[in-house]
Amino acid sequence: MSTEVTERPVVTSRPRGSARRARVFTRPALALLALLVLVGIWQLVALARIWPEQLLPTPGQVWHQLLVTSDSGNGQGGYGGSTLWERLGVSLRRVAYGSVYGIGIGVGLGLLMGLVPAVRATVEPLVTFLRALPPLAYLSLLVIWFGIDEEPKVYLLMIAAFPPVAVATAAAVTGVNRQYVEAARALGARGWQVVASVILPASAPEILTGVRLAVGIAYGSVVAAETVNGADGIGGMVLNAQRYNQTSVVILGLVVIGVTGLLIDSLLVALSRLLSPWRGRA
Amino acid sequence: MSTLLTLSGVQHHYGRGTRAVAAVGPLDLHVNAGEFVVVVGPSGSGKSTLLRLIAGFEHPSTGTVELAGQPPVPGRDVGVVFQQPRLFPWRSVDGNINAALRWAGVPRADRAAASVDLLAKVGLSGLGARRVWEISGGQQQRVAIARALAARPRLLLLDEPFAALDALTRERLQEDVRTLTNRDGQGAVFVTHSVDEAVFLATRIIVLTDRPGRIAADIAVPLPRTGVPAAELRAWPEYAALRGQVAAAVRATLTEVEERV
Ligand SMILES: Nc1ncnc2c1ncn2[C@@H]1O[C@H](COP(=O)(O)OP(=O)(O)O)[C@@H](O)[C@H]1O
Ligand SMILES: [Mg+2]
Repeated sequence: MSTEVTERPVVTSRPRGSARRARVFTRPALALLALLVLVGIWQLVALARIWPEQLLPTPGQVWHQLLVTSDSGNGQGGYGGSTLWERLGVSLRRVAYGSVYGIGIGVGLGLLMGLVPAVRATVEPLVTFLRALPPLAYLSLLVIWFGIDEEPKVYLLMIAAFPPVAVATAAAVTGVNRQYVEAARALGARGWQVVASVILPASAPEILTGVRLAVGIAYGSVVAAETVNGADGIGGMVLNAQRYNQTSVVILGLVVIGVTGLLIDSLLVALSRLLSPWRGRA
Repeated sequence: MSTLLTLSGVQHHYGRGTRAVAAVGPLDLHVNAGEFVVVVGPSGSGKSTLLRLIAGFEHPSTGTVELAGQPPVPGRDVGVVFQQPRLFPWRSVDGNINAALRWAGVPRADRAAASVDLLAKVGLSGLGARRVWEISGGQQQRVAIARALAARPRLLLLDEPFAALDALTRERLQEDVRTLTNRDGQGAVFVTHSVDEAVFLATRIIVLTDRPGRIAADIAVPLPRTGVPAAELRAWPEYAALRGQVAAAVRATLTEVEERV
């Protein structure tokens, strides 16, 4: 087989091409199949009633909850005053604010860390410490400082989001190919021009990787942020449903949170491809 | 002819104390406006160091470098073309040239026209919108030359710019650089280890000794700059004689090394 490949590349290239096409076709199909099988098993296990309905609702019941909580005219305004999608919107807004602030601080701080060794030596241990803390751990402090309105939630997400961006930015900046910097200086670029036109764009792919990580962490922390007076979010819905043993609502919340998280992540991957098409080519 | 560049008693070493490596000198050199000086020397003889001293990226350990009467500052009065094109991949071809124009202080309103001019100069008209990885290595080096010319530097420094290109591309670029830099009194210092490239491009050839690089020979090249096609010029007996002379000078520096070892 392998000798045939080397001797007759023209002949073997045809089945190879179709094999690649087949793989591209079957991958999403396989994923869908796995999902269907999973839902099928869930349905069977739920119907077998090994556990009561309180513990394990059927997929159909969860689907029903989706319809009920999406309907603002169902007598409780969806669920507890707002629909599922309104809640998702509220939570996403928190994630967006937290991420944007976090990314801003992260890029700024990371840039300073990468450019000024003294700043890095001072700030890096702090950033690493913050990174090691689970967001729920500092929520209490934020609540004492900022009350129970929007601020502590957004700050929590911000604090969760900025360390990975700062670390990625600092690493990217120190790793910038010195040849580009020298070329810019040879063309007359000075100080800030070198930073803005060479160091930042050269670091962009790595910074975007940090951003992807940061948004993931902020998104993953939104449920924690909504444990304090966050009943209007989707995390708040899950927490509330747990209190009243509404298992199907809890599962619905998890599925929506998970699917949205996946969508956001693939959006960020697409965005970083769009913003740094030269990645890996220079 | 006015003096463009003066090196007096220049020596440069890297590192300190017992670890110090003498790379260049002692060396004196004057380059006049309009001269095309090609520096030839064996690998490691300090050619790149010499260019970095002239560009202002390094300061001589002893002696002085003066460009138009002042110590050189990177990006002022000199354009540099490196062995690798070093184009910014996050910018298009035009974007690279525009950045250079901006850093050179060309007003925004004039940049588009200037960019078109520069691309035409290096034979790349119409390729401005390309991504830098979409064009060939020779074209990339042409963009690098256009970028270095953006500020209209008095002196162009080129460090083995064609070493990584295939022979045919190299010859075409040599011809273009020869005509390009033969304008309005601009000077050039071009580093190579190819004797043929040196004779073809230079108005004057400096042969460097082995490390630390000193001037082993200073040879004038009285060949016509215009009017004679490249292939014809290369067939001239004068051309062959100069090649022989330079090759002998280079060989002499090498035998010195062998005798010393
Ligand atoms: N940054 C540096 N630090 C230490 N030694 C260097 C450095 N750059 C060059 N050298 C040494 O200086 C000598 C001359 O180098 P270089 O100028 O690059 O020569 P060439 O360009 O002729 O090959 C070499 O021995 C080289 O190893
Ligand atoms: Mg060199």
